[in-house]
Amino acid sequence: MAVPQDLFYAKTHEWVDLNDGIATVGITDFAQNQLSDLTFAELPEVGTEFKAGEEAAVVESVKAAADIYAPVAGEVIEINERLEDNPELVNKDPFGEGWLFKLKMVDESDVDDMMDADSYEELCPND
Amino acid sequence: MNAWSVHFKNPVPYQQGLEIQRRLLKARQENEIPDTVLILQHNPVVTLGNRGRANYLLKTEEEYRELGIELFHAERGGDVTFHGPGQWVLYPILYLGGNEADSHGYLSNLEEVAIQTLADYGVKGFRREGKSGAWTDAGKIAAIGFRLKKWVSFHGMSFNVSNNLMGFNTIVPCGLVGEPVASLKTILGEDCPEMPAVCDSLLNHFSTVCNRKLERFDADGELPPALAKLVRDD
Repeated sequence: MAVPQDLFYAKTHEWVDLNDGIATVGITDFAQNQLSDLTFAELPEVGTEFKAGEEAAVVESVKAAADIYAPVAGEVIEINERLEDNPELVNKDPFGEGWLFKLKMVDESDVDDMMDADSYEELCPND
Repeated sequence: MNAWSVHFKNPVPYQQGLEIQRRLLKARQENEIPDTVLILQHNPVVTLGNRGRANYLLKTEEEYRELGIELFHAERGGDVTFHGPGQWVLYPILYLGGNEADSHGYLSNLEEVAIQTLADYGVKGFRREGKSGAWTDAGKIAAIGFRLKKWVSFHGMSFNVSNNLMGFNTIVPCGLVGEPVASLKTILGEDCPEMPAVCDSLLNHFSTVCNRKLERFDADGELPPALAKLVRDD
């Protein structure tokens, strides 16, 4: 299972790529694999403000719906509009083209509460 | 891994079942209880999943009311389905976000539970590509739809034993046009097992397939205090 080294991870299987105070958020390879083929992604509206740990999105596969949480506090400044027609991008490229939304962070030190790749990998099943 | 199961002898109204699930979900998220499986029957009810489309409902709200069928929008995945007495509904409240997650995936495990249960009664069950649930030559017998919050599951699977399938005629089950619905009763007739026997089969196979040792309880029997306050309305 892929776990890129340079990202921050949440226990609820989101990842954050921090760049200049902007957090790009997506779900991990583990998460997309457990949900199987996604058919729908309900993303937040641009301008919405989230606290860390708040419900921010819902992704659905044929028979499952899963809540996605804002791993850090911030305001939504962009969503991945391609997912509207191509939710399967989350399955194909969870750490790249399948990103979900971008948050303008309130406090960059929020990522200190997240896990690094090694700690995150320990949380996932070994197979 | 140890887990609990709670069996309800009498049919549970859908709303009450939902409230029990929500309380268990929260308790499981906060690690106050182990993984817990509810097994129950509902009073007649048609439920729509998150993306469930109302055009799969073949009756008006008033007609459903006249038929004694409740109507609910559920927050689960999956499309429209029908529940009623004579059908077992399995609501596993499981943490699926850690080491214990099965790489086969939860959906596939639930299907396997249904298929192995069918085998106990000599019925061949199978999966169909692109169509979830468990199928028999006579039609679909088990339907699946669930939701994860903080990677704890709720909602789950229904399995038709001896329920009146008329309720399914009021909907397009799972949005699949022209696909028949079956029950153990329609397949086995007089040889259809009793509800308690099928409950045992479902829980036994759940235990093996999902790798959880079940400590079994009856909702109206003695329960661990942590569970009693979640399962009973006071």
